[in-house]
Amino acid sequence: MELILIAIVIVLLLVILYPKIGSLAARKSMNASNERIYVEDALKHIYDCEYKNINGTVQSIAGNLNISYDRAAKLAERLESLGMIITGDVLRLTAEGRSYALRVIRVHRLWERYLADETSIPEKEWHLNAELKEHDISAIEAEALSVQLGNPVYDPHGDPIPTVNGELPEKNWKPLSSLQSGDVARIVHIEDEPNTVYAQLVAEGLYPGMHVKVIETSSERIKFEANGEEVIIAPLFAGNISIAPLAEFETIPEKYKTLLELKRGQEAEVIGLSKACRGTQRRRLMDLGVVPGSKISNEFISTWGDPIAYKICGATIGLRRKQAKQIFIKPGKTESAKA
Amino acid sequence: MNDKKNTNEILKLADELRWEIGNDFHDALAESIHADAAQIAAVAVSYDDKKPQFDMDRTIDRIVTSPWLGFPIMFLLLAGVFWVTIEGSNIPSGYLASILVDTVHPALKAFADSINTPFWLSGVLIDGAYLAMAWVIAVMLPPMAIFFPIFSLLEDFGYLPRVAFNMDNLYRRVGAHGKQALTMSMGFGCNAAGVVAARIIDSPRERLIAIITNNFSLCNGRWPTQILIATIFIGATAPAHLAGIVSAGAVVGVAVLGIFSSLVVSWFLSRTVLKGEASAFSLELPPYRPPRILQTLYTSLIDRTLFVLWRAIVFAFPAGIVIWLVANIHIGGAAVAEIFIDWTNPFGILIGLNGVILLAYIIAIPANEIVIPTVLMLTVLVSSISGVGGGSGVMFELDSIEATSSILHAGGWTLLTGICLMLFSLLHNPCSTTIYTIYKETGSVKWTLISTFLPIAMGLVVCFTVAQLWYLLA
Repeated sequence: MELILIAIVIVLLLVILYPKIGSLAARKSMNASNERIYVEDALKHIYDCEYKNINGTVQSIAGNLNISYDRAAKLAERLESLGMIITGDVLRLTAEGRSYALRVIRVHRLWERYLADETSIPEKEWHLNAELKEHDISAIEAEALSVQLGNPVYDPHGDPIPTVNGELPEKNWKPLSSLQSGDVARIVHIEDEPNTVYAQLVAEGLYPGMHVKVIETSSERIKFEANGEEVIIAPLFAGNISIAPLAEFETIPEKYKTLLELKRGQEAEVIGLSKACRGTQRRRLMDLGVVPGSKISNEFISTWGDPIAYKICGATIGLRRKQAKQIFIKPGKTESAKA
Repeated sequence: MNDKKNTNEILKLADELRWEIGNDFHDALAESIHADAAQIAAVAVSYDDKKPQFDMDRTIDRIVTSPWLGFPIMFLLLAGVFWVTIEGSNIPSGYLASILVDTVHPALKAFADSINTPFWLSGVLIDGAYLAMAWVIAVMLPPMAIFFPIFSLLEDFGYLPRVAFNMDNLYRRVGAHGKQALTMSMGFGCNAAGVVAARIIDSPRERLIAIITNNFSLCNGRWPTQILIATIFIGATAPAHLAGIVSAGAVVGVAVLGIFSSLVVSWFLSRTVLKGEASAFSLELPPYRPPRILQTLYTSLIDRTLFVLWRAIVFAFPAGIVIWLVANIHIGGAAVAEIFIDWTNPFGILIGLNGVILLAYIIAIPANEIVIPTVLMLTVLVSSISGVGGGSGVMFELDSIEATSSILHAGGWTLLTGICLMLFSLLHNPCSTTIYTIYKETGSVKWTLISTFLPIAMGLVVCFTVAQLWYLLA
């Protein structure tokens, strides 16, 4: 018995003290990378302020990074000595600082794109996960990631991903709250901060690429149709949704019907695939022939009602209700005799 | 210089254009390719416009997926497959055992003695390596040679995808794929084959879940252990006329606990360590067709049965040697096995087992089939029972359950030992054949380690809890 106890103590000591991989060593290297995290987060914050045309100050850094004023002031000093910012009443980025901030933002948005397309991590965890990951991906790894993802240009929230050279397009977005009733537009971006607001908007089923049509606005609420479904949110929340006017060729279908509404024995034509269906799943469905114009019919339903078997391009494929809901259709003639 | 400036301008323009067209151009490309293909097909392919009066496929599909008949049909078919496997394999198994274990083994021994082979050499090779291989072949081959072809025939006919289709709702809730119902059923035949079968799941996350949880299907090699122990220890607690039902109920209970564990672990994995893996769902439901019997028989025998059997034999060989050696190498007057058993016995008692069982599970890692023969050999060794078995290091089994029961009781086994052994037999590391197969299939040490140590950790916790509650209440 004593022998076992001694063995356990020795193992525990090894775990804590072992050089390079022990937890003490881990703590030490964590402190060094913590400093890097603060520097990068502060730069990102100042960049964000400049992008939004608000004033970035030592005070706002303290608030954004959740650190004391003194700590923030020291951080600003350090950034100036590194030649990243010019201090004053308002903090300004130097060209070098801006390019550094954009590199961090590039990694952040690429990583969000990766999480959205290649993993099954839920939507509301993307941003926080990327907040951590943006600090420990090297430039080379980021480029490899970008290539792997097919050089995406927008993150899943609709934010443009800066190019390697740190360039961003001009934005011509307006907040959803600026629309009048009767206006139509397309959601181009949903702000992922603060997380509580973002989680609410995600829970409402909103995502970039949706068509919106405003039904009524008042100071308490905005009521609009998003892909045919009615949504009511507070104007404060609507401020976190950006929209852009529809392109000339875009037309809003009168009413979105989803594949899920198709009854057994009915046939329809696919008109599109929801933007909320991403990555592997999206490619799989398109490979199977779920593209605008193809015919699809509901063949039979499983014992428990989910999944449902559809005939697509002559093959019978079982799809879950969740996916059927992401496929938009235009009902065709009903095969009523057989149903 | 001018060239470089031009290049940069072009790249800059390209970047700007990429923002303008956005992320959707991949979709647009796929759509236009599809549209072109559809257009060509419309011109080039002619269809028979007349629809048949009676659509056979659809009729079968609507019956096997109907709310009333879907599950009864499925359970009857699967129960039938298992029944045929168990009943059908008894005779060839006994036949193989009588040849390989009862005839060839003594003959080999006699031959070795006649040419004056040293005791240790014939012990290592014949009593150890040969006997372990013979046992694995005799117990493993017949059920697999029956189960896999029937299973493959059902697959070829097109029924199994419908089972996955019906079961998907359950698996969706735990973050897995409906096809896991199939790999799980395959696991009841052999976990290594179940792991290989997980190739039918093409989504990475769901495939890993199916591989890691396959061990919770009570495999062919563990059914006999369950039945034997349930008969000796659990059946004995019931009145004689109910003994059969009670012990059968206990075995089914353990199998159901296995299915339940696989669902719980799937749920746990999909929400923790496997969150980072991509996931997609689609389930192809191919048209029914008459099974190609000969081709299916051939491929299922070669691809599944012989493939798995070969791996098991390769692992049984060294294990047989180790089993013989631990019983025959002596340090300070006691065999290595005895020393180890004495040393681990207190820990074994803590989780309701004993040192013999722990050692048997360590050295019989190549195949669950040889756990009981090893347990019997070790029990005889440590409790110095004379007159049974073939000597130290020689695995054996007894024809009568009473004789086995008396050996185990002499070894100090109680009802608690029986219950904990049944639980531990379900919840322990996969056999080395399966572990190796998991490594081959996933190509990852990480997932192999998780698949190995997760079930054994669960087994230790469950057995410990049961044993402590037992000691507390009894």
